[in-house]
Amino acid sequence: MPIQSGAVTFARFRSEPAGARPDAKRWLVRGLRKKAFEPLEARRPEDDRAAGFVELEDHDAAGFEAGLFQGEHALFAWRIDRLEVPAKAVKAEVDRWVAAFTAEQGRPPGRREKAGRKEEVRQLLRQRAEPSSKVIDVSWNLDTGEVAIWATSRKVVGEISATMEEVFAVSLHAVSVGATATRSKLPEAALGPTAALVGLGGQEVSRGQA
Amino acid sequence: MARREEARAEAAFLRGDVGVDGAATEGDQRDAAEVERGKAREELLRERTWLGRELLTWLLWRSESGDPLVEVEGAGLVVLFTSRITLRGLAGEVTELTARGAQAPYSAQVRRALDAGLLVHQARLRFTHGAGDAEKVYEATLDAEHLDVRAAKLPELLAEEEDDRVLERLFLAGQLSRFVDALVTAFLEERASRGWAKRTVPALKGWMQGKP
Repeated sequence: MPIQSGAVTFARFRSEPAGARPDAKRWLVRGLRKKAFEPLEARRPEDDRAAGFVELEDHDAAGFEAGLFQGEHALFAWRIDRLEVPAKAVKAEVDRWVAAFTAEQGRPPGRREKAGRKEEVRQLLRQRAEPSSKVIDVSWNLDTGEVAIWATSRKVVGEISATMEEVFAVSLHAVSVGATATRSKLPEAALGPTAALVGLGGQEVSRGQA
Repeated sequence: MARREEARAEAAFLRGDVGVDGAATEGDQRDAAEVERGKAREELLRERTWLGRELLTWLLWRSESGDPLVEVEGAGLVVLFTSRITLRGLAGEVTELTARGAQAPYSAQVRRALDAGLLVHQARLRFTHGAGDAEKVYEATLDAEHLDVRAAKLPELLAEEEDDRVLERLFLAGQLSRFVDALVTAFLEERASRGWAKRTVPALKGWMQGKP
């Protein structure tokens, strides 16, 4: 749990509005429960991935009754479970079946027969597979609006920030230099690439071709 | 047309090998260097990454003096680039260059590469905030595109209770974030001013070229 210990690595955002409000707890709990984590077993068997919010200190709990706040921070986590059937295991099982089928029938299985068996094997192995689980912490300073998603994989960070925007009806702004310049309403003309630094001719830069 | 042939034609269309008229499309005739440059160009433009690279390059230049660069909560913030630095650019044959070594970021080799059109894309930075007993030292790796904080080292925690330690850790992580924001604000102020093109860029180029 990186918020509590371990590597300090996080993607930064600013929420608008910041998040402080009289009914903050009720609002947060309602939002988190809208996209609470549901284990894969309880979902359709064809789903290989489940993702949702869980409590920071108990990754199997999604009630958010306690431990949601530390000072002005709201703390929770995003859990991703994935059920993966190794292609190598499927291939080994299918190869065994092909050998047995050929010996028994005196001919190799047809393409359709093989594809059907492959799907059966995949489903069989899926039932035996244990889901792999990944948890990403989220801290949100409700006074300042600073949001830290304790991961840097853009795919995961994008998924969490988009879900937060949806369930809390807030906007999460990135704090990159480009985004900050846009929010600061600095004149566009002054923000193009500096030709002398980026190693381009002035004409190329002014045409916006950097 | 036989079914098999039809399926083959459809697959070729889906692969992009042929167009709707069934004629062969032009393959990617560009050579590897051109493809690489195209990728580097796209990377520079995405999310205005050039601004992040210019920020880190400006910061490298400004930090060499060892003087505080900005004030955060009434105390000076000194920045020092340490160990590993990655440069990226469009011009010339080199699109990425990584330098390692305690003095590497300020070395003549790195400056020459900057002068040739590369800019700092990722670097390890040490932030010293305050002075004397109140001095606190942080370290983090920053990248130009997102300004995410990676593998940061925070000052030693003082709190003993578990809950207090979490709060202190969050506070220190927040401070680190505020340092980065303060540097971005200072950079953008200078970047958007008239002095950027007239004074800052010539001075920065002079530093890259080793001029006194």
